Amino acid sequence: MASARFADFAAQDAQNHGMKLRFSFPPYPLVGRPREILRKYVEGKDPISGRPLMPQVIEALTRPLSEEEKHPKTSRAAPRPRLLKPDTEENLHQLFLENGWTDGAPIVLPTEERVAHMLTGTAADPTEVVGRMSVTIHQEKLEYTVEKVAVNAVMAGAGPEHLPAILAIAASEEASMPSSTTSFGRMAVVNGPIREEIGMNSGLGALSPFNYANTAIGRAWTLMTINLGDARLGETFMGSTGNNMNYNNMMIAENEERNIWEPFHVRKGFKKEESTVSFFQGWSAVNSMGAAGCCRPAQEETLIMMQAFPCLRGALTLIMDPLVAKHLKEQGFDHPDQLSKYLSEKFRMTAGQFWGSDVVYSLVEPDARSGIEPYASWLKLPKDSLIAPYTSPEKINMVVVGGETQALWLTTDMWYIKTVSIDRWRPKSWVYKEDEQAPRRRYARRKRHAAALNASGYDPQ
Amino acid sequence: MAQKKAQSGGSLCTILDPRGQPTMVVQPLPLAPRLDTLQDKTVYVIDVGFGGGWEFLEEAAGWFARNMPAAKIVLQRKKGIMFVDEPEMWAEIKQNADAVIFGVGG
Repeated sequence: MASARFADFAAQDAQNHGMKLRFSFPPYPLVGRPREILRKYVEGKDPISGRPLMPQVIEALTRPLSEEEKHPKTSRAAPRPRLLKPDTEENLHQLFLENGWTDGAPIVLPTEERVAHMLTGTAADPTEVVGRMSVTIHQEKLEYTVEKVAVNAVMAGAGPEHLPAILAIAASEEASMPSSTTSFGRMAVVNGPIREEIGMNSGLGALSPFNYANTAIGRAWTLMTINLGDARLGETFMGSTGNNMNYNNMMIAENEERNIWEPFHVRKGFKKEESTVSFFQGWSAVNSMGAAGCCRPAQEETLIMMQAFPCLRGALTLIMDPLVAKHLKEQGFDHPDQLSKYLSEKFRMTAGQFWGSDVVYSLVEPDARSGIEPYASWLKLPKDSLIAPYTSPEKINMVVVGGETQALWLTTDMWYIKTVSIDRWRPKSWVYKEDEQAPRRRYARRKRHAAALNASGYDPQ
Repeated sequence: MAQKKAQSGGSLCTILDPRGQPTMVVQPLPLAPRLDTLQDKTVYVIDVGFGGGWEFLEEAAGWFARNMPAAKIVLQRKKGIMFVDEPEMWAEIKQNADAVIFGVGG
C-alpha cells in the first residue's frame, strides 16, 4: 500500500525493480490525521481505482496471477543518441524547456563547437565514463561521459576553466537535489589554488550572485542533476516545497587567505596545494543576524540557534565570516575541533523535542526500538528530560567564507559528505588560460578589498 | 509547435543531447503465487515507518477483525528505516506468513 499522492511514483519504482506489484492506495496524507479519519479511509475507497479499499486489498492477495505477472518481460530503456535532431535555435530552446532539461532560465545551446571548446578545459578523454547518478534510490542511475558533463557545463554558461571543478562534482556522483519530500539543499565548498585560478569568490558576498565561477559551477551542478541524475518534477523529484538552495547549491570557495584556522580540506586530510570540492547536505540555514561577540560570545549564540533543528543526524555546519573565526579563536578555540567538542558537549534539547519531529520518528525511532543506544535509552526518558543529541563532535564542521563587513555566521543543519580532488580533471597545461584580462581584473579587485581593510585599521592577527 | 516554427525559416543547428545514458537491464521478477482465500490464513501487516502509517494499519487490522475474523492478522513494524532492506524480515515472513501487506509508502 502507498498513499494516493505517490501512486505513479510507487508503480514506477516497482517497475524499475522488475515487478508489477498490486498496489492499493489510501487517500493522502495519513500523517497527523485523527483516528476517525483514518478509519474512514480504511472503510472508504481507493481514490485511484475508485474501488472499496480493503476488498481491493483482499482481491490483490487472492486473485490468480495473470500471464504477465507470472512471466514478466525483461525491459531496458532505449539508448539515447549523441546528437539531437537539427532544428532552429528558437525551437531547440523550446524543446529543452518543454522536456524539462533546464532550470527554467535560458541556457547556452550545446553545439558541437561549443562542447569541443569546453573540452579544452580538461585533459580527460571525452569518451571516459565519469560516473552514474540518480536523484532517487527508486530509479536507475544514468551513466555519463566527460562529453556529457561538458554539454551541461556549456548549457550552464560555464567556461573551460570551470570544467575541472564541474567534472570533479560529476565524478562524486552526488546529485545536487536528492529527491525527498522534505526538499533537500546542498552546499559545495572549493578549496585550494584553483579557487583563485578560476576566479571564485570566497570573500564579500560569496553566497550572493556576483561571481561568474560560483554562479556557473553551481548552475552546472543543478543542470547535471536534472539531465544526468534524471530529476523530473513529480516523477523522480518529489520535494514538496522544493528548496531555493537548489538553484546554485551554495557553491562557494573557502576564504583560506583570511581564515585564522587551517583550510577545510587540510582538516579533511588533503594537502594545502591540492584543489578540492567538499559536499554537504541538509535543509536550512539560520543567520546570526548580528555580530559575533556583541552581546554574547558566538559559541553561546550558536547553542541557541541549534534549537531550530531536529538534530536528525547529529550534524551541523557553521558558515562563518573570517571575523567570527577570529572572534572564536580569541574565545579560546585555537582549532575548530575544540569548537565542535564544545557544541557537542554543551548543547541540550528535551527528549520530547527530539522525538517530536517527524524525520526523527521515521529515521531514528526504528533504531531506538531495535535497542540501539543511546536512542533506546532516550526513548524511555520523560519528555522534559534533557539530552545531548550531537553525540559526535566530528560531525560538527566549520567553513570560513565572507568579506569581513560583519562578524556574521550561518548555522546550518548540513552534514558533511565527502571531499574529492579537482586536480585529476585539469588540462595538460594545469590551468586553463584564455583571457589574461580576467585574472588581472580579479587581482585589482582583491587589491582594492585589501586596501579597504587596511584603511579600516583591521588587525588580521 | 516546434515543427511549426521550423517551417517558418531560420538556420538549423545541431546540438548534443544533455541527458545521461540508461544502461540498466531490469531483471523481471514474477509475483508470488496468490492464495485462494484469506480464511484461516496468517497475514502479516508490516509498517515501513512513514508518519501515520502505523495508525492507519492499526485501523486496517481492525477492519479485518470486524469483517474477516478468520484471517489471523500480525501487525508489526519494520525494524529498521524504510529505505534499508531487511533479509531477516523477509525470512520471517516466508516462514510464518501466508500473505503480507506492506505499507504505507509516502
